[in-house]
Amino acid sequence: MSVAVAVTDSPEGRLALQSAVAEAQNLGTGLLLINLTLHDFTEDEIPSGLEVTVINRSGRGDRDPVTAVIDELSDHAEVDRLVLGVRARSRVGKMILGSVAQRLILRSPVPVLTVRQDGR
Amino acid sequence: MPPGSPRRRSTSTASTNFELPHVGTGRPVHRLGIIATVATFGGLLFGYDTGVVNGALEPLSEDFGLTALSEGLVVASLMVGAAFGAVFGGRVADAWGRRKTILLLAGVFIIGTLGCVLAPGAEFLIGARFVLGLAVGGASATVPVYLGEIAPSEKRGSYVTRNELMIVGGQLAAFVINAVIFNFFGHVDSIWRWMLLVALVPAIALLVGMIFQPESPRWLISQGRTEEALAVLKQVRSPERAEAEIDEVTHLAAEDAKEATGGLSDLGTRWVLRLVIIGAGLGFFQQLTGINSVMYYGTQLLTSAGLDSGVAIIGNIANGVFSLAGISLGMYLLNKLPRRVMFLTGYALIAVFHTLIALTAVIVPPGPAQAWTVLAFLVLFVFSMQGTVGPLTWLMLSEIFPMKIRSFAMGICVFVLWIMNAIVAQFFPPLIEALGMTATFGMFAGLAVIAFVFLALMLPETKDKDLAEFEREFKAEYGRR
Repeated sequence: MSVAVAVTDSPEGRLALQSAVAEAQNLGTGLLLINLTLHDFTEDEIPSGLEVTVINRSGRGDRDPVTAVIDELSDHAEVDRLVLGVRARSRVGKMILGSVAQRLILRSPVPVLTVRQDGR
Repeated sequence: MPPGSPRRRSTSTASTNFELPHVGTGRPVHRLGIIATVATFGGLLFGYDTGVVNGALEPLSEDFGLTALSEGLVVASLMVGAAFGAVFGGRVADAWGRRKTILLLAGVFIIGTLGCVLAPGAEFLIGARFVLGLAVGGASATVPVYLGEIAPSEKRGSYVTRNELMIVGGQLAAFVINAVIFNFFGHVDSIWRWMLLVALVPAIALLVGMIFQPESPRWLISQGRTEEALAVLKQVRSPERAEAEIDEVTHLAAEDAKEATGGLSDLGTRWVLRLVIIGAGLGFFQQLTGINSVMYYGTQLLTSAGLDSGVAIIGNIANGVFSLAGISLGMYLLNKLPRRVMFLTGYALIAVFHTLIALTAVIVPPGPAQAWTVLAFLVLFVFSMQGTVGPLTWLMLSEIFPMKIRSFAMGICVFVLWIMNAIVAQFFPPLIEALGMTATFGMFAGLAVIAFVFLALMLPETKDKDLAEFEREFKAEYGRR
């Protein structure tokens, strides 16, 4: 058993990470941290107090964050839950850039736990 | 588009500390010199092929009975080709290797040149110029990367600079050769075909020369061909240095692979989007300075201001000289002045000289006096532009993006830049015809003012900051909290 989390470069990404840490600690499992931001996580950005595996996004194969996450999930069969931060998006924004969260929810091989910030 | 070379930061700075022995002397250095000479023929061709219309256009236009609009199209089709060549050239160079790509480009240069020279009509010429543009854009993306990858880290900057000087030198060479051909053989039918044909010489030199040059060691390592990479390094470094450098090159090849990580969906991150907008703005406004209206239509401008064709084509050489002098100064200033100061001073000077050109056309009556006054302000504009905004735009593009999205972000900006180049090339002749010099240059002056405001509000300072530091600050200010 293990919990995976997709961390984007945004407030909801940071919230997802917090929630995933709490979730993994509750379940007493490890955490698969899939870093979708454009920088590699440093030691102090990685949560302590539980067993964390960090996957940084790297190379052309990871250009689409959805593909990057799905690939990792299929490589890590022990994961049985994906934590994801979501927020309201405008129609125009979704039309132009699509919604990573929506595509992940629809394609994830494991159940998805979505979290959002209050009042957003 | 003078200095057309995306300078990758990872190419120009040794990001990690590798203690390396001296490059060596004698044979390896000599070999490296030959490689640089051959590869920069790519830059020379870039310059010659973009500059040659400046002087060839008038006889060409008479031959084919072109209108202002179709003149624009003949010139602009090359830039449209270059936009695609620049975007796809890099992809081809990653897949096939730098050497094969440059060989391919040399072939396209030759075919494109022959197509232009033998064109039976304007439509064919437009198509052939598009093909030539693919090679120009491809060379702008590939040659500096090849040079940067094969040069020793401490000399990377100077090799890439050399290519940029060759681009502007190629334009100047085209102006001089056109002036000589036109003044001695102007009576010959279709003399423009001979002007264009000259480009065949460096194209053949590039093709033949590249056959004997080695592949980039960094690309070989990215393909897992370490033995071959070592063999190449041994040709261009002292034996000790070659062995020692393998680790550095392997590290750099891995960094390169990361540059292709980010894509469209990352533009959803606010601070990244802001950087891409700034970068695209840099390319957009660099071309709207109108620098290339001078580089492509300088001779025509002087003719319409009141000089004879033979004199105008000689006077136009001054544009090339000041362009080269400006670039040389600019390269020096890059390391001295803060980026923002240099950009804002540049755009301010550009606005001033455009205003002076516009006023000259109103105040001084048409004739040689007007033409020479216009030329004086034109060269001052060219000099200030090439001494600041010209090279600085490329440098800035190479240093503002986070490493993992650099490839995608640079692709967008360079594409915008070439397309704006094409738009200016396409619409400058009809604008001059319909509105005259005053309104056209008044418009350029206004655009320079808008560029000034845009950059004053948006442009971050990057000088003397390393990328991680810059990213942190920018993200803290513009990221979503």
